[in-house]
Amino acid sequence: MQTSELINTYYVDANTWDEMYTNSSVRDQYKSVVEFMQQLSIDELNKKEELARRLFMSQGITFTVYSSGEGIEKIFPFDIIPRIITASEWDYIERGIKQRLKALNLFLKDVYNEQFIIKDGIVPIEMIYSCPHYLREMYRFPVPHDIYVHISGIDLIRNSDGSFYILEDNLRTPSGVSYMLENREITKRLFPDLLPKNTVRTVTEYPNILHKNLVALSPRQISHPTIVLLTPGIYNSAYFEHTTLARLMGVELVEGRDLVVDNHRVYMKTTSGLQQVDVIYRRVDDEFLDPLVFNPGSMLGVAGIMSAYRKGNVAIANAVGNGVADDKAIYTYVPSMIRYYLNEEPILKNVPTYHLGKQEEREYVFSNMNRMVIKKTNESGGYGMLMGHTASEQEIDAYKNEIIKDPRQYIAQPIISLSSSPCYMQGKLQPRRVDLRPYALCGPDGIQIVPGGLTRVALREGSLVVNSSQGGGSKDTWVLAG
Amino acid sequence: MLSRVADSLYWMSRYMERADGILRMLKINYASSQDDINEFSWKSVLRIFTYLEEEQANAIAHHSRAVLQYMVTDKENPNSVVNIVTHARENARSVQDHITKEVWQCLNDFYHTVRTDQLIQWLDKDDPVTVLDVLIKQGMLYYGTADITMARGEGYNFLNIGKFLERGVQSADILDVKFRDLDYDLSKADTIYWKYMLLSISGYELYLKTYRSGFEAKNVVEQIVLNVDFPRSVLYSINQLHRYFERFKSEKNEEGYQKINFLIGKLKSKVKYSTVDSILKEGLHTYLSGIKESLYEVANALNQNYFAYT
Repeated sequence: MQTSELINTYYVDANTWDEMYTNSSVRDQYKSVVEFMQQLSIDELNKKEELARRLFMSQGITFTVYSSGEGIEKIFPFDIIPRIITASEWDYIERGIKQRLKALNLFLKDVYNEQFIIKDGIVPIEMIYSCPHYLREMYRFPVPHDIYVHISGIDLIRNSDGSFYILEDNLRTPSGVSYMLENREITKRLFPDLLPKNTVRTVTEYPNILHKNLVALSPRQISHPTIVLLTPGIYNSAYFEHTTLARLMGVELVEGRDLVVDNHRVYMKTTSGLQQVDVIYRRVDDEFLDPLVFNPGSMLGVAGIMSAYRKGNVAIANAVGNGVADDKAIYTYVPSMIRYYLNEEPILKNVPTYHLGKQEEREYVFSNMNRMVIKKTNESGGYGMLMGHTASEQEIDAYKNEIIKDPRQYIAQPIISLSSSPCYMQGKLQPRRVDLRPYALCGPDGIQIVPGGLTRVALREGSLVVNSSQGGGSKDTWVLAG
Repeated sequence: MLSRVADSLYWMSRYMERADGILRMLKINYASSQDDINEFSWKSVLRIFTYLEEEQANAIAHHSRAVLQYMVTDKENPNSVVNIVTHARENARSVQDHITKEVWQCLNDFYHTVRTDQLIQWLDKDDPVTVLDVLIKQGMLYYGTADITMARGEGYNFLNIGKFLERGVQSADILDVKFRDLDYDLSKADTIYWKYMLLSISGYELYLKTYRSGFEAKNVVEQIVLNVDFPRSVLYSINQLHRYFERFKSEKNEEGYQKINFLIGKLKSKVKYSTVDSILKEGLHTYLSGIKESLYEVANALNQNYFAYT
């Protein structure tokens, strides 16, 4: 096959928004990429695909899967064709996310302090107290600069009419940003000159902005506060990301065993004694952070860290207890929060969501199971999910029985088709479903979103699940300047 | 620097040096097995470098390819090159923000090379020397990359301390393997073996320039233990170990520094003021074992005073 035929053999699924193709022509923003590809031969494209694989492997941009006692290095699959977002689309997304984050941050401050939103009846109190991520340890604790969400990764999807929806808010330890950075580096190698020619905005500032924000959190007013990145260790699937960020920011990468608390101060153990730590960017979940306060069996955390935090001797990003705001059941109330706190109409829409804790909604969902996706409110990464249109009768019945046991822990959403984007697979262009996760950083100077993000791809034909744990891959994501 | 990081850098470096030592030792012995009219035995190699039981060692002692596979690619063997390189990489992986990207990639490539299934086939069917050379070259690439890219700070010192401590042990072992075969009787000449040994550790030219009288065991011992200009000699390794350790003098850890400085200084004097004759008088095996024990003592003291983090 010739590359010129790639486009002619590209068939978009019916009732789907395709990122590249519309009404039998290529969208403007994709034209120069398509042209560039058509100048290459299939052989050269295959070589580029192989080069990408080799670059990932040799740089160790891998995660390890342990089976039969032996670690196997896997690459997070990468598709060489970029996903392109126009300047006006980005402007809309950026405004929408900033608005949403502002409201979510106010919500966290409110639920851990005065709780006006509950008293005014906007969010029912049982929604808060039934949420396992609401931590009373954070009640009435003034976090630095009133910022709870320093780093977020909000997932967006596109419906068949092309409009954006918020799929979920990740406000705890969102991952994937290193792939945003590395995918761009790979694209530079694969397609020389193509980025500047298309006026693609740069993403390289991300670590610098993050570092600046972390420095601003330091409780001690000193010129060089000690910032550390707390990782669960080398067996964590996001370990590569932790090292990348630590390296790019020039901060120390620590594990729980490197830290010790003395007199409500956190120290790290160095070859020349103890050194006080001022700011911790933690990639360890709340539950494992402090064995004295949370899970007593945790080996990943630091005993006494919560007391140091509450005394104000160390800053932690993201704040502890954010899970109450990105809970899948609380999600439904975010549009009301935006109206309540900001007196604005939400810019980005929510996907309609049914609470299975409410009887009438549960009954509606149960009689329409094959059009629904059911999720557990406290799970992430695509675990514990049921896709109604592909599940068998038995699976649905078994799942229903699980739901009845504790309906508060489940929500249902109508299946949204997700937009498709061309992927280069087996020498052909094939449409695959994608989502988008931009990364927003919030510091004392406000919210900044680097123009880009992680585009996750469901690599299986027809699949709507993009999570990497469920066979997803990723693409470089271009935001155009004009 | 975090104690855990110092520990990982030190071990990464020790493992890399060990991989190099083992590969070179295999190369010598393989070459000499091809040049031996008697049936060559790998028994002493297996005894010193593996944990095999007497019976298991005997079973493969006369099969070069089986030994090579066991020592290079066997994942059951804790001291195989593949396992050692994996350990080095695991250590590197946990300190990626303290080594340069180039060093990490180099180690990562080594890891992927040593794990390819083809390696087993090559060791089985092709010329084993080629395979060993490929792996040795990967190690050399690591040394060069570390030397050229790493900043001269605390981390670099720990890398070198690990490297030279391990090299001292390896050089002592390489000598010990063969002399054990000869029952430590230096009059039993095995000139072919000495030649291969010097070639494999890049000491052949130096030997020819230093000694004019052909291959004599005494001279070989002198070069490998006492020559200060030979980068694989025991004395050179200890001198370097001392040199890099002395850089910690201004650090806050006064007590630990004094203790270890004393241990290294004592060992350094012992070797420096030895002669071949005094070594032989003491007994080569006793002497080499003494050096190894002193090096392990330094390693333990480093553990207690610099790496303790749990």
